[in-house]
Amino acid sequence: MLGLTTGPVCLASCGPVVLPWMLVQPQGVRWHSRQLLLFLAARLAGYLVFAAAVWLVGSSIPHAWSRRSWLVGGIQVLLAAALVVYAAGWPRRRCALAQPSSQLVQIGEAPRPRTSGALALGFLTGISLCPPFLVAGVRAAQLAHLWAALLFFAFFFVGTAVWFFPYLSLGFVQRTPAVVTVARMVAILLACWYGFSGVSILIERAFYG
Amino acid sequence: MASRSSTLAQPAVFRGVGRSLLLTLPIALWTLLMFTPSFQRAGRDLHIAAAVVILFMTALFFLMMRTGETYRWRRIFFVALGFLFPVGFIASLVAERGTMSIPLSRMVSGDTPFCFMVTPTIILPAAFARTIIFPGAILPTATNTRSIAFMIGLWFAFTLVLGKAWCSYACFFGGIEEGFAAFPKRRRLHRFVTKYGGILRLIPWAILVFVVLLSAAILEPVYCMWLCPFKTVTEFPAVRNVETAIQFGVFVTLFAGLVVALPLLTKKRTQCGFFCPFGAFQSIFNKINLFEIRFNREKCVDCTLCQTACPTVALSKDSIREGKTLLNCMKCGACVDVCKKDAAVWHLKGTPVAVKPERARLLFLYGAWALAVMFGGNILAGSIAAIIGFLPWK
Repeated sequence: MLGLTTGPVCLASCGPVVLPWMLVQPQGVRWHSRQLLLFLAARLAGYLVFAAAVWLVGSSIPHAWSRRSWLVGGIQVLLAAALVVYAAGWPRRRCALAQPSSQLVQIGEAPRPRTSGALALGFLTGISLCPPFLVAGVRAAQLAHLWAALLFFAFFFVGTAVWFFPYLSLGFVQRTPAVVTVARMVAILLACWYGFSGVSILIERAFYG
Repeated sequence: MASRSSTLAQPAVFRGVGRSLLLTLPIALWTLLMFTPSFQRAGRDLHIAAAVVILFMTALFFLMMRTGETYRWRRIFFVALGFLFPVGFIASLVAERGTMSIPLSRMVSGDTPFCFMVTPTIILPAAFARTIIFPGAILPTATNTRSIAFMIGLWFAFTLVLGKAWCSYACFFGGIEEGFAAFPKRRRLHRFVTKYGGILRLIPWAILVFVVLLSAAILEPVYCMWLCPFKTVTEFPAVRNVETAIQFGVFVTLFAGLVVALPLLTKKRTQCGFFCPFGAFQSIFNKINLFEIRFNREKCVDCTLCQTACPTVALSKDSIREGKTLLNCMKCGACVDVCKKDAAVWHLKGTPVAVKPERARLLFLYGAWALAVMFGGNILAGSIAAIIGFLPWK
């Protein structure tokens, strides 16, 4: 229930990462479904890692800002880097033949889809400490067994994951050069934001404790 | 201002005085109607200001009718609006608070007047979190009559009819850069703007998506808090720490670069064309409103005078070949006025292109000028009244 009710917050807080990254992917709902499932799987992994961590160390991580700030700042910097690499597509591959046009005659097997972007972004958004996530963390830390904490987060994940399916509609958006360019620009802007925000938190933590 | 010969070629229509007056009559009546409340209120300064604005707006419309030119006369109003709005706004802030910065208490109490620039960013949080992420009052209050509901209602009604023409007839910021763009005689960086125009005009879309997504994620009006160049000449969060100092630095840098320096260099509205997310949002409504600019391909000689004259790079060679403007056209009329072959024409959707274009122009101008009077006219009157109030012999 917590996942379902806080789903819109998850949808909004992960939107800045998911939307530009999906828009630079090739068009097609099937492809998008596969990528979204990978993203959600990585996100679940992030949830479970966090669940295990909070259960092991108790509820001190969600509560103590002094410890949390390092984590938040670090995750945001990593998220910025991941956006630059996977959504903005920088640094680009030098050889143009590495990504041949789909209109060319294909010899041999089709190139394997790149899954690292979905996994990296899914995991990093999975461990981002958004408000509903922290509420779930406190609850998980209070549970008696590790498996109970993991199960709690798994169900929490299922509740929030439902809200991600509207993103599949992005598969219908036509990938004109303008759409892809705008998506890349958005990714760069968001990377700047997350980078600035993360570095600010880390500097503040380093200087003021 | 650039000389007429350098920007405008020849008027399409030159009407007689009587006919022009007759066509101006509806606008004159509308203007009087709009300013009736000003005369009912006490205050000699406001009465004088209202009278000046009535004459100003009516005279400009008359000149539009008489000369057949749109851009030249609209620009006079628009630049006046752009430069006078901050004067009146800052004067009222200083009189009320003694400073241009917003204290937190005022933000919390919802006394901040609503700015239409945040409209696209408040939609998602309102839908998902049932929160208006702007520190204003939804309904009018005793101290703040320009509430969120009132401003959005006004904006939506006119946007449905006029599309992105809002940016040329109502925006109280665009006139500042249009004024700076009008100063130089020579265009510099012209090749750069022409060559990279395709990429540059995508930036507002990117900023729009960026601010909409991020505002929904962090429940904060990101554009207002971090990116609005016009905070420099209106109001801004009080500088209290490093973060607010950075914010202020961003506002000033963007203002100096996009609103002053680049318009002076390029003779373009660079903030509107290459940055403003609200402008990109308005472009969407160009798809569904009635009026547009079209090119009569039988008359067009591909001289690209219109492309050079367009202040927001809303024309490309391809779009002219297709007989259309790009989506970001704000219907300022510069291309129509500059065209020596009368190939660029006003067009009412659903009617044949280049058949009675002056009728389409008239219909458009009645709507656009009615908006200009209602929205900009009141701002002009308020600012002029403030200036009269500051005169030394008062």
